[in-house]
Order: sequence, then C-alpha cells, then structure tokens
Amino acid sequence: MSMKIRTSRLLFGVASGLALGGLVSGTALAQDQETTVGAGAGEEDAIVIGGSIPMTGVFAFAGLAFNEGMRDFVSWVNEEHGGVNGRKFRYVGQDTGYDVDESVGVFQRITSREDVDFYFGDSTAFSQTINSELNRRDILMTGASFASELNNPEEYPLQFLLGPDYTEQVGILLDYIADEQPGARVAFVHSDTEFGRDPIAASQERAEELGLEVVETLVTPPGASDISGATLSLRRARPDYTIFHGYVLAPIPDFIERSRQMGMETKFMGTYYSMDQTIIDEMGEAADGFMGVMPYRYYYDQEAPDTEILGAIHDMHDEYKPTMYIQAWLAGVLLREIAQETLDAGKELTGSNMRETLDSMENIDTGGIIGVPVTYRGSSIPVGRIYRADMDEGRMVPVSDWIELE
Amino acid sequence: MRIGSPKETYAADEGLFRTRTQWAWFGILLLSLVLFPFLSNLYWLYLVCLISIHVISATGLNILTGYTGQVSLGQAAFMGVGAYTVAWLDNHAATPFVLNLLAAGGVTTVVGMVAGLPSLRVKGLYLAIATIAASFILHFVFLNWESVTGGARGMNIAPPQAFGHELANADTFYWLVMPVTVVMVLLAANLFRTRVGRAFIAIRDRDISASVLGISLPVYKLMSFAIASFYAGIAGGFYAYFFGAINPESFPLLMSIFYLAAVIVGGLGTILGSILGAVFMTLTPELLRYGVDVMEPFVDDASALLSPVRTMVFGLLIVGFLLFEPHGLAEIWRRVRRFFHLWPFRN
Amino acid sequence: MEWLFFFEVSLAGLGFGALYALTAVAFVVIYKATRVINLAMGEMLMFGAYLFFGFAAGMALPVWLALVLALLGGALLGLGLERIVIRPLLGENPISVFMVTIGLSSVLVGLVEIIWTATPRSLPDFLPSDPIFIGDAFVAPKTFWSFVIAAVVIGVFLVLFRFWRGGVALRATASDQGAAYAMGINVPAVYSLSWGLAGMLAAGAGILLGSVAGISSEMGVFGLTVLVVVIVGGLDSVLGALVAGLFIGWVESLAGVYLGGEYEHLMTFIILMVVLLLRPWGLFGTREIERL
Repeated sequence: MSMKIRTSRLLFGVASGLALGGLVSGTALAQDQETTVGAGAGEEDAIVIGGSIPMTGVFAFAGLAFNEGMRDFVSWVNEEHGGVNGRKFRYVGQDTGYDVDESVGVFQRITSREDVDFYFGDSTAFSQTINSELNRRDILMTGASFASELNNPEEYPLQFLLGPDYTEQVGILLDYIADEQPGARVAFVHSDTEFGRDPIAASQERAEELGLEVVETLVTPPGASDISGATLSLRRARPDYTIFHGYVLAPIPDFIERSRQMGMETKFMGTYYSMDQTIIDEMGEAADGFMGVMPYRYYYDQEAPDTEILGAIHDMHDEYKPTMYIQAWLAGVLLREIAQETLDAGKELTGSNMRETLDSMENIDTGGIIGVPVTYRGSSIPVGRIYRADMDEGRMVPVSDWIELE
Repeated sequence: MRIGSPKETYAADEGLFRTRTQWAWFGILLLSLVLFPFLSNLYWLYLVCLISIHVISATGLNILTGYTGQVSLGQAAFMGVGAYTVAWLDNHAATPFVLNLLAAGGVTTVVGMVAGLPSLRVKGLYLAIATIAASFILHFVFLNWESVTGGARGMNIAPPQAFGHELANADTFYWLVMPVTVVMVLLAANLFRTRVGRAFIAIRDRDISASVLGISLPVYKLMSFAIASFYAGIAGGFYAYFFGAINPESFPLLMSIFYLAAVIVGGLGTILGSILGAVFMTLTPELLRYGVDVMEPFVDDASALLSPVRTMVFGLLIVGFLLFEPHGLAEIWRRVRRFFHLWPFRN
Repeated sequence: MEWLFFFEVSLAGLGFGALYALTAVAFVVIYKATRVINLAMGEMLMFGAYLFFGFAAGMALPVWLALVLALLGGALLGLGLERIVIRPLLGENPISVFMVTIGLSSVLVGLVEIIWTATPRSLPDFLPSDPIFIGDAFVAPKTFWSFVIAAVVIGVFLVLFRFWRGGVALRATASDQGAAYAMGINVPAVYSLSWGLAGMLAAGAGILLGSVAGISSEMGVFGLTVLVVVIVGGLDSVLGALVAGLFIGWVESLAGVYLGGEYEHLMTFIILMVVLLLRPWGLFGTREIERL
C-alpha cells in the first residue's frame, strides 16, 4: 500500500516537474502559433485584422461564427478584389474563452508581433479595458458589443459599433410598438448583468416620450434561477408588449410558456443576441410569434442572393449562416470601405485617420447586409428591422420596413 | 553539498538568507529581474506584470490560509475593494498613484477586517462559507452602489503617472509593479520571524492551544485578515491600473478559487509557494494553448476545447496536488534542493 | 387580490424551495456519513441534468429510460468520486477535503463543456403542462410537478432512511463510526452508499431544475444556495434541510417579487451571515463541543 502511494506520488512529482519545465519552453513556442488567414506573414504592406474571439466558453456560439465570417471575408476580399489598392488583408484571431483578462492577453500577444491595423473585440468589458491601449497604439476597433456606453466618440474615439447600440435596439422596438399600438403597456425583463442593465433606464424614458406606459421592469438574477415570481409579477402588470434584454436563451422560452399557461396576451420581443435562427430553433414551440430587432438581413432573406455580399456568402455556403457570421462580414466590408477611402485620400491607415474617414462617409453601401444605405451617427448605425418568428415557415419573417431612429 | 554555514546567534539562524550562496542566488535573481525588460518582448512583460499582481495577492492569501489556517474564498472580492478605491480616487480626487495604492490597501484592510469578524465566532469550513457570503455581498455593493462604483458599467482608470511619464504599457508598468512585489514578498517572509507571524502559525496548528499560550485569538485572527486584505488591496489597485477598466464582473468567485488553487499548488504556508503557485497557475493556460495548437491538425476543432480543458486542468491540479503533493511545488523544490545539499552522499 | 398574489408568490417560492430541499438532503447524507462538505454538489446536479439531456435529446431515448439512465449515471458518479478522490483523503484535514471538492466542481464543469459545449440548452419537456389552480391561485405546472416529484422522492428516501437496512447502517455510522464498525456494519460500504445515494438525488434534482430553468454549464451555482440551506438547517439534519430549503425558496421568491430580482441572492447570503453569527450549527444541527 505504502509502496503504491510512494509510486503515485513519485509519478505525480515527475509529471508536475515536467509540466513546470515544459511551461517555460512551451510558452516560448506557443507564441508562434495562431490562426492566420490571408496574406502571408512576409507581405509587408498587408492590412492586418487582429481579433480576440470567444471561440470557447458561454459565448462560443457567436465567437465561432465571428471567426468563420472574418476568415471568409478575408479570403473573399483578397481573391475577388485583390485587397484594397493591391494591399491584401490578413486576419489573425485567437480564442479568449470569453474571459476579459484572456482577451487582453490575446490583444497583447497579437499586437506584440503584428502591425495590427484593425481589431475585433469580444465583449463590452474588453472594449472598456482596451480603450486606452487602442488610443496609445492608434488602432481602430469594432466587435461583438453593442453597449450604449461605447457609442461615445469622445470617450471611445477609436471604437465603433456594427449596428444600433442596445438602447437604440430597444428604441427601434419601442418605435414599432408606438406605431402599431399607440399608448401600449410595455414591460421590460432584463438580467442583472452589465449586458442586461445597459439600455433599461434610457429606454424607460424613451417609452414615456413615445406615449407608451411602462408598467413593469423585472430583474432576474444571473444563473439558473426560478422565474415563477417574476412571471406572476408580469401577469399582474398586464403588459401588451414585453421586451427581454440581456439574455441569449434561458429564461425567455420559459417566460413565454408560463405566460401562455396563465392565459396572457402579451407579445414578447428580444434584442439582437436572442434573435439568431439557431437560438429561435432552440426555443422550440415557445418561439412562435416571438419578435425582435435585427440590424442585418438573415441568410435566407429573399433578396439576399441578389445582393453583393450576401450573394457572395450564398456562393460560399449552401447552409444557413448565423447572424453573427454576417456581423463579422459587416466589420470586414466597413473596413474595406474605410481603408479604400483613407488610402485614396493619401493618408496612412492609422486608427485616427480611419476614424476621420468613417465620420465623413455618408450613405455607405453595405452590399446588402443592411437593407438601406447607412450613415454613422455617433459610433453606431441606428437602423434595424423588426422580425417575427414564424414557426410554420420555421424562420424569421420581417414585419416592418427598415426603421431608422431620428 | 552545503558546508561552512556555522551560526553564532539565534538571529543569524533565523535569517532569510543564511549563507553566502543564498545571498548570491538572491542577487542573481534581482539582477535578472532588472535585466528582464531589456531582453523580453512586450507580451512576456505583460505576462510577468500579471504574474506579479497574482503573486502579491496569493502571498496575502497564503498568510491568511497557509500560515493562520483561516480559509478564505473572498480574496478576489477584496481585490475588488482595492481596485474600486483606486478607481474612485483616480476619478474624483486625482491624487498621485502612490497615495491611491496605499489608500486601496488601507480601505481593503478595514473591509477585510469587517469580513473577518465571523472568524471570531466560526472557523474552518464555516469561515470559508462566510467568506463566500462576504464576497457575494461585496459584489452586490459593487453592482448597486452606482454613485461610487459606476454600477454595472464599472469605471475607467487613467494609467499612473511617474516623473512625467505615463506608466501605461507593460514595459513601463513593470518598473512599478515588480519592485513593489519584491518588497511585499520580502516583508511577508520577514513577518514569520516575528512574534506576530509565530502567533499565526500557532493558531493554525491548534487555536485552543495557542490561546492557552496567551495568544489573543480575536486580535491575531483579525490581524491576519487585515494583512491578507492589505495585500489583496494593493494587488487590486495594481489590477485596476494595469487593465485600466474594472466592473463588478472583473472579480468573480472563480478568481478567489484561482488564488486558493495557486496557494495550494504552490504550497500552503510557504512564501516560495505563493510565488511558484502564481507563476504556475498563470502559465499553465499558456502551455495548454500550445498543446491545443499542436493537436489542431489531428483533432477537429481542437481550439474549441481550450477553455473547457483549462477549467478541467485547473480542477485536476487542485485535486492532484491535495491528493499526492499536499505541500505543493515548494516541497518539490525543497526536495530538489536537498538532493543537491546531500550530494554526493545520497543518491 | 393582493393576498391572492402573495399566496401565489409564496406557492412559487415553496415549489422552487422543494428543489433546494431535495439537493440539501443529498448534501446532508454525504455530510452525515463521511463528514465531507461537498462543494461539488451543484456540479454533480448539473452533470445529472446533462446526462439526461444527452440520453433524451442527444441519443433520442424515451424519456423514462433517459431518466433511469441519468439517475444511475448520477449514482455512479457519486460512487466513483467517493472511491477515487474522497476515500484516500479519509482522516485528512477537513479543509483539504473541502478544497478537493472545489477542484472536483471545476473538473465536472470542464467535462460537461467538453462533451456538450458551453452553449445553453433547453431540456426536453416531460412534465405535464396543463395549468394548475389551488383555489384561485395559479401555480405554474412545472413548479407544481417538480414540487410533487421532489416531495415523493424525499418521502421515499425518508422511509428508506428509517426502515431499510442500509438506511439504518447509514444512521448508525453517522452517530458513531467505531461502534457501528464493531457491530458489524461495513463502514466503507456505507461511505460508498451515501455518495451513491447523494449522486442519484442530485441527478434527480438537476433534471427537475433543468426542466424548470434550463441547463447550462453554470447551473452549478445553484449548489451555493443549497450550501446556505444546509448551513441554515444544520449540516447533519435531514429535517433541517427540508425546512430550510422551503424557507429559503420562499424568502427568495418574496424578495424577488417585492424587492427586485437583484435582491434574491443578497437575502440568501444575509440570512447565512446572520445564522453563522448567531447559531453557526444551524436551526436543527448538532452543536459540536471542541475538546483539546
């Protein structure tokens, strides 16, 4: 027995010793490993897109789509257009596990070796954390976050959003509601996280301005928890519309199901990250009639094959591609436009030059990703469209035209 | 083989560095720490700065858990207190960073002592659970005391200024964090040559016996909490400066478990253990990243395995070390050293 | 109307409290037999829920079979953990064992994310979904049925605990290991039994929780609230686990509705702090006297 313990201990000691030794040499080697797509490392004038991409962890469903979208964009733009003015694109993305410290680590790792021109971030917290670093290094960035706070060119001069910020997303929903049913009763349900709290205070005001009545605002604690009490409060408030924010999946389906069991008539709405087809599929039956705001065309949009970008995506892929994949393409398409104009004006591709270009551009053609030509207002594009889940067709169908906020 | 280290006084026998060889090694270590920034790239410097912050915090936790025997799962929340103190002062008072960091240490010390109050009433596992409760309550405060903490969106912190320079990047920040880390580690090591440190150890070994020996349990337990929190506060202050932005989700319970794991893996009750543990736990994910990259051609979507494997390895390290190597890396290190001390007599 | 609403909220809270109680019983069984505070309980529960998900949704087995397999899987997990990790630490410092269970929870989370990824999922529906009314008060069917199932399981367990040979052995071991061993009770087998039973209870609770609130690799956080429940009830008291489970569920529900969702867990931990300061051995627990 004691012999056995001794052996296993010895083995463990040897193993951890080896691990410790391996660590140092391993990390040194690890530096040369990454996912690279596009122009070879030798090409001096390549336009480099770096990315902290959450390919694992809770946000992996989005991160994997971002990664694939960015890859496909880079190979498309290099093959079809030869890059911009002969300068090819290159994409370097690494996994963050949706952990802020890790995202910052990835940023440091990539920027310490590459001359990065453009960066794709994975979370609001990362955008906040890396902001001063971006300003110092003069790198333009966009990413996964639609946080209202980032829509602020003074504080975050080198960051822009790939659509309406969360407040604007809810604003678009409220505009739609005010149009459909003036004076409607509205309830908000949000998670007790930075993501969930983001648009609530501003949206409550906005709703009142539009003549809507905010009858209830419910907070659910993060993690698996019981929503019985919250559904009872919701029933008591008798809203015509209930807007969810700060969730991906749970507890939306459960809320909807229980409200139906209680015979409630309210219509449920969501924001961007709970609107992808894969999420709707996961909601199952409960999703029927679920509405929400989406700034992009879906992959299966009827007009998609005729547009430049969605057409190219259709040529590359026969099967459904998530909205986050299209979001990454939008980042690429915007970057191409910005880089083109900046280079045409005879300026270098620094962050601040590119930002100036972005501010000066009007009616940008997104190649069909967004249905109307867009102009940046602040750091966001306050445009979106309302879709409704139609379970007979098994997909999201538009129920409004493209709505642009004032 | 070690020879020629006779002692004439007890003080000499208690010294941190007892032989000339040890002094020499210490000198070499300091020299390499000074030379490191000139030989390394920015990414390595970034990692080393991060490790330094972890070392400070883990050292603090080791004083509390390893030396005094009070298990705490609140270290990350205490770091949060320090970080928020720095952020508040930076945004509202614009005081110099030295002052801010000291204030972070001070405020956290007070908060830590309050959180340590249950230690007077309960101990062992109950205390560990009380510290979980304390960290939940602190998280609630970070999230909801919006006028001070900025609520869910958190706060931004400008980089520290010294001699007209911004210590913003890892290459300049290094010169701030590394000397402080060295000093704080040396202070911690020296603590256990004093009455206070010995009292801590006595409490860990058997608190009732310690109190029979005339050690006031309330005073020393709270003092241990105070010291651990001070270290956490300083580490949290550095964390805030280093990352430049904090929010309530920057200091999750998982981070407290990380520090506990670092202390266990490094070695409970040894200062060297805190250092080794922090280094090991920070670099392990880097090694895993390398492993995943090597597997990439053979396994589909190997990169999608990285973070679950990291979580799992993290747990396996805690379990493995507690089962097979409860004294941690420091003990392995001592074994290696002993081999050389006894060489060539024992082989 | 107000009282009816209060009544409905209370029922909802008690319904969820039944899940706390069920998991807390598993916790207490382990503590009684092996004196281990198992912080991996929440993750064992998560693992059980994912097993059910894997059998029912992944392999498309019939629900009853998936249920049986998931419960067996939970029991096996408990047995395995006890034999491989907990047994070698017998007699060690309880704090080491406690920290080992923290490590185990991390391992289980990683394992689940490797097998099923971290993407949140819904469990297949298997509870009846017709609305239930008690008087005029509405009770969500999922809440109602999970309460009923939890109550039945706990009832069966209590009967076993009282009359079955294994249950008696378990209680005997809990009160005095040495004496139990001298009377011919196979104490190591009792250790295994307790972990296996607890694993099965946890898996059951996980499946119920998953069908009420969805499953994700973070659902183990539930275990922290259960930890509060067992401390409040008393670590070694089955009765305490039941009473405190229902009580905490009720308080959280009221706090969530009348104060707001952000106060739910705050209330729980404030209760914990108060109990730790006033009566650390819990409402129904045994007060231990320390000797030198």
